[in-house]
Amino acid sequence: MQKTILTILLGATLMSVPLALPAVEGGSIASKVESLGEMTYLKFTDMRAVRRDGLLRVQVSIFNENSANEQLYYRFRWLDEDGFTVWEEEPWKPEIVYGRQSKVLSVTAPTLKAQDFRIEVQSPNNSTTLVPNPPGSVANQ
Amino acid sequence: MKHTTIKPLLLSALLALTFSACQTNSPTVGGGGNISYGDAKAVETVTTDLGSTDIQMTSEKMTRSLLQHPLVQNIIRKRELLMASPVQNKTSEYFDTSLITDTVLAQLQKNGVRYVIAGANMQNQVDELRRQNQSGLYRSDKTAKIGRMQGAKYRLDGSVSSITKRNSSTKDVYYKINLQLIEIESGIVEWSDEQEIRKTARR
Repeated sequence: MQKTILTILLGATLMSVPLALPAVEGGSIASKVESLGEMTYLKFTDMRAVRRDGLLRVQVSIFNENSANEQLYYRFRWLDEDGFTVWEEEPWKPEIVYGRQSKVLSVTAPTLKAQDFRIEVQSPNNSTTLVPNPPGSVANQ
Repeated sequence: MKHTTIKPLLLSALLALTFSACQTNSPTVGGGGNISYGDAKAVETVTTDLGSTDIQMTSEKMTRSLLQHPLVQNIIRKRELLMASPVQNKTSEYFDTSLITDTVLAQLQKNGVRYVIAGANMQNQVDELRRQNQSGLYRSDKTAKIGRMQGAKYRLDGSVSSITKRNSSTKDVYYKINLQLIEIESGIVEWSDEQEIRKTARR
């Protein structure tokens, strides 16, 4: 019974009020981010999710702490309430974040079934753990 | 008698040994050349020409923009029909523009949008209807009747344009991909969106 009420409350929150996740490492933002190697300069500063017209909308703010430009690759994974994926694998998307810039990524879920999400990120130049084959490595010119 | 039984046994044992020596643990065939499978969703930066990543990103953006539009949500509710006209390629490159609209339609269909065939697929449809109705090969109560196809209410149209600039060290290409949703009867553009892409190569 208690679980049902909690689920209804969470559902109502998602449907109407934006869900802002605290910008703390190891907190709620970290639980949504899957990083291929730890990023040194690119940091998540804000993340919010809201459901409008039945579609989950997510806004993510990323800040580049470096003065040089940083390349970011990202994609979202859309999940249902049980954590199952409800959409095919998204293509990796390239994004340049200029030095000291705060970039906002706004995305909408591709399906009404999406209840939750994960964001996969990779930054080839500022990763402390080197990834052998970054997403942007298809025969660079 | 004994000699003739041992000979085939020895032969099969030798064959088994030969095949097991060729086997690897991976379920692959060949492996001698430089062929491998890559990630179809990876960011492709081979040349500045329009590539898989551009098509994937554009289709994704257009589909989600369409889905957010109240008209498309209405189309889903009322089960109205869509079709795709051939997207114009105004660039100097060759590529199949139906790659964009095909993906958009396929992704919209997963959300409940219904669409009818058009363009190159139409000929196959006409051929099959004629075969069923005019060849005399089919039972009349089991044929798809002519004159019952449904026309779409809306059509997707669009264009791909590009501007290329180059000097001795740099080539810069700017692409603009535009899609529109048009009500066929009135010609009114009910929705439109565009994707801009910049690709730069340094020598």
